[in-house]
Amino acid sequence: MVVHNRERFLDQLAERLNRPRRTQVDAPVYSVQPQDRVFHGATQDELVHILEEQCKVIHTDVIKTTSGELADSIRQVMDTYKVNRLVSAGGPRFDSSGLIDSYDDMRRDGYLVHVWEEEKGQENVTFAEKAGAGIVFSDITLAESGTVTLFNDRFNGRSISLLPETFIAIIPKSTLVPRMTQAARLIHEQEQKGVPVSSCVSFISGPSNSADIEMNLIVGVHGPVKAAYIVVDDL
Amino acid sequence: MKVSLFITCLCDTITPDVGKDTIQLLERFGCEVDFPAAQTCCGQPAYNSGYKKEASKGMKQMIQAFENSDYVVGPSGSCVQMIKEYPSVLKEEPGWRERAEMLASKTYELTQFLVDVLKVEDVKSTFKGTATYHPSCHMTRLLGVSDAPRKLLENVEGLTLIDLPEKEDCCGFGGTFAVKNAAISGQMVQEKADHIASTKADYLIGGDMGCLMNMGGCMRRNNQEATVLHIAQVLNSQ
Amino acid sequence: MSIRIGDKPYADRIKDGIGNDFMRKAVSSAQGRFRTGRLKAAEELGDWEDWRTLGEEIRHHTMENLDYYLHQLSEQVEKRGGTVFFAQDASEANAYIQEVARKKQAKKVVKSKSMVTEEIGLNKALEESGCEVVESDLGEWILQLDEDPPSHIVTPALHKNKAQIRETFANKKGYTQTDDPFELAAFAREQLREDFLNADIGITGCNFAVAESGTATLVTNEGNARMVSTLPDTQITVMGMERIVPTWEELEVLVSLLTRAAVGQKLTSYITSLTGTRLDNEVDGPEDFHLVIVDNGRSKIIGTEFQSALHCIRCAACINACPVYRHVGGHSYGSIYPGPIGAVLTPLLDGYEDHKELPYASTLCAACTEACPVKIPLHEHLIRHREIIVEQEHMTTKSEEILMKGFAKWASTPAAYQLSTKMARTALSPWTKGGHIEKGPGPLKGWTAERDFPAPAKKSFRKWYQERQKRRED
Repeated sequence: MVVHNRERFLDQLAERLNRPRRTQVDAPVYSVQPQDRVFHGATQDELVHILEEQCKVIHTDVIKTTSGELADSIRQVMDTYKVNRLVSAGGPRFDSSGLIDSYDDMRRDGYLVHVWEEEKGQENVTFAEKAGAGIVFSDITLAESGTVTLFNDRFNGRSISLLPETFIAIIPKSTLVPRMTQAARLIHEQEQKGVPVSSCVSFISGPSNSADIEMNLIVGVHGPVKAAYIVVDDL
Repeated sequence: MKVSLFITCLCDTITPDVGKDTIQLLERFGCEVDFPAAQTCCGQPAYNSGYKKEASKGMKQMIQAFENSDYVVGPSGSCVQMIKEYPSVLKEEPGWRERAEMLASKTYELTQFLVDVLKVEDVKSTFKGTATYHPSCHMTRLLGVSDAPRKLLENVEGLTLIDLPEKEDCCGFGGTFAVKNAAISGQMVQEKADHIASTKADYLIGGDMGCLMNMGGCMRRNNQEATVLHIAQVLNSQ
Repeated sequence: MSIRIGDKPYADRIKDGIGNDFMRKAVSSAQGRFRTGRLKAAEELGDWEDWRTLGEEIRHHTMENLDYYLHQLSEQVEKRGGTVFFAQDASEANAYIQEVARKKQAKKVVKSKSMVTEEIGLNKALEESGCEVVESDLGEWILQLDEDPPSHIVTPALHKNKAQIRETFANKKGYTQTDDPFELAAFAREQLREDFLNADIGITGCNFAVAESGTATLVTNEGNARMVSTLPDTQITVMGMERIVPTWEELEVLVSLLTRAAVGQKLTSYITSLTGTRLDNEVDGPEDFHLVIVDNGRSKIIGTEFQSALHCIRCAACINACPVYRHVGGHSYGSIYPGPIGAVLTPLLDGYEDHKELPYASTLCAACTEACPVKIPLHEHLIRHREIIVEQEHMTTKSEEILMKGFAKWASTPAAYQLSTKMARTALSPWTKGGHIEKGPGPLKGWTAERDFPAPAKKSFRKWYQERQKRRED
């Protein structure tokens, strides 16, 4: 936890800029703010519609459900994708949504379900690597780009949304915002209040892909090959 | 309205007809056109090659030649754009910068002058045939003139315009580029000539003699049949 | 590898490029798709020019206060458990990273795509100190197996076709399937998954660092950068010193500009923002994090008329818009940074000596300037380079200098100019046939190698005008 060679480096920059080192810079005021105009004033239902349209572009299935039907919807998605090993994020939202109980039902029916827990250490990653699907709650959902924002933490390891072939995100309708602007602003405001940002913020828009071979779009490279969003109307 | 013609060195030497048509066209719309004989070349060949010092000598000549003009109008987006840049080229030369600004502010490309200053969108000309139009890069991207030539051509009676595929692509002229990087330039102009051929148009119309000379030279080498015309020639056709 | 690639002279590189039919077709079709994507993405927003203005203002403000923001960034990274190393040049950066690898006793290093590590030749340095280095971006992996440099900054293996890729996989990795891109990619997934799981160190580049929180953001589609920053215990992120924004609010705008301008996506599949080490209670992510901030010639650009070249966000929109790039391909530039931005940056970072032709590899059509999402006046920078090559470096030919001195005299002396309009036709008459010159002398030689040149008119315009005036006066 050190910083090497900084002063020499920055002194030289200040010299090139032909002024003394700056220790204070006022927040800049920009002449235009087009980012605020995108889907300004859209209702939650309109944002859901925008999200659905964008998901067609990013090869992502959208399932709409309610909190009462959520467990069934997850099972449906897993069956559609022929998955029976599931790694799930844990934490308060999973506890309060009742999903943890429904996982017990799933286990009884032969599914292998692993809930991410700090105490299990590396075992979490090992399971995720073998899992057919990983499931998370979206923290903020960006309608414009069809993006799930995850503040990865001890309940929500980075591997869950990365290693399994299928990525499943539960999207409470209330988490929808127009675009990345609102998510970035929230993080910025938190930083200003002294609340440090998560060690990893993942903005995920559908499955992984590449166009590196003759510009052919290949869906599914290193990350997930398939993605499904389950939008929960009453959360 | 008194207008001075900025002929450009290429039109002066190689395609004088473009100058004649430009004068007649302007006169038709009530302009009194003169031709300051002390004008030379805008300096672009030297400026774009990195010879700023050499270019600025010619630029000063141009500034002097047009000092007494009310409006300066030229049949080339690229050369007019060069004049628009005189103030920045001469920004460190006391006295010249202001004179350069005077010239830049009163200089217009022909179609720009017709549409923006004379407020003419229909020059009442007749020209029979099919044509495709190449929007030159400097005219479009740097001078910002793209609607004026299109509007004027659309109103020419008898003329059918066919859209040129990938029209915004450079023809490969680039002044000294065509000589210095002749092989690349050759590939670029060949691609352009192929696009022109694909339109099957009778005429290729453009607003810059440099580009037209480049495309025309390639089309001739290819034995392509389309005739190359400057927009002034079409607009002055009765 | 360093900035310069290969040692062929410019003329040979151009000849190779023009002669490579597959590459040219691939580039042409890629440019078409990229361009359509970019224009569609811009159109969707409806106010693209405002976005560009905002992008330019953000970059300008950041560059003007770069010392402040880099200081803030390093403080924040340190606060979050990371180590920051400011490297003056490639050798300092490489030596530091080698030292980290040595301390970790690292055998395998897995990398995600990073132009700056190409620039400093990091792979070679690590290999020399005994590490196996694996590139994990699909395109970069193909190139690494084939020992070929990148030809595009976003899709580095653009010049290769699937048959060539199949052969490379077969020869180097024992691949036995077809050249179907899906099968090729699935093979890469399977092979590289092992590397991700076994690597001791993950190395990433950095699209944008956020000063306020000490965050490095990676913009990717394949997911490899997430692998690299999730699985190995040690992560090293290498960034060019200009790749920074003040806060998350600016980050968001630049990411939006980048993904739209680069590939026409609203966002790429993964925007990954990494801050320091994993927390004590977290299971995955690095326990040791190093941020290496590289100057390597960039500070020489600060404070000069080229400063806005540092505004570049590496989207390649200028490359995708450039008609010269389309016909010659990336390798012709002889630099890991090709196209218009490469022609501007390469001489600044690596000197004029080896790259003096690059600023002339442009018609100055300004398609690059128009495409740039942060409004870098690329074609104007190319003209400035040419001025420096002429006036300060004196790297042009004697004959060109004489020609241009003659030009100055001609264009500033009306009598000389007028005489030339009279004489041009006669002077060129030995080469003229049927009103055209098909094989010209001197400077016309290059021109007429490719196309005909029109003979000057019998009567110049000014002659006609004089006669007309006389007729009118009579």
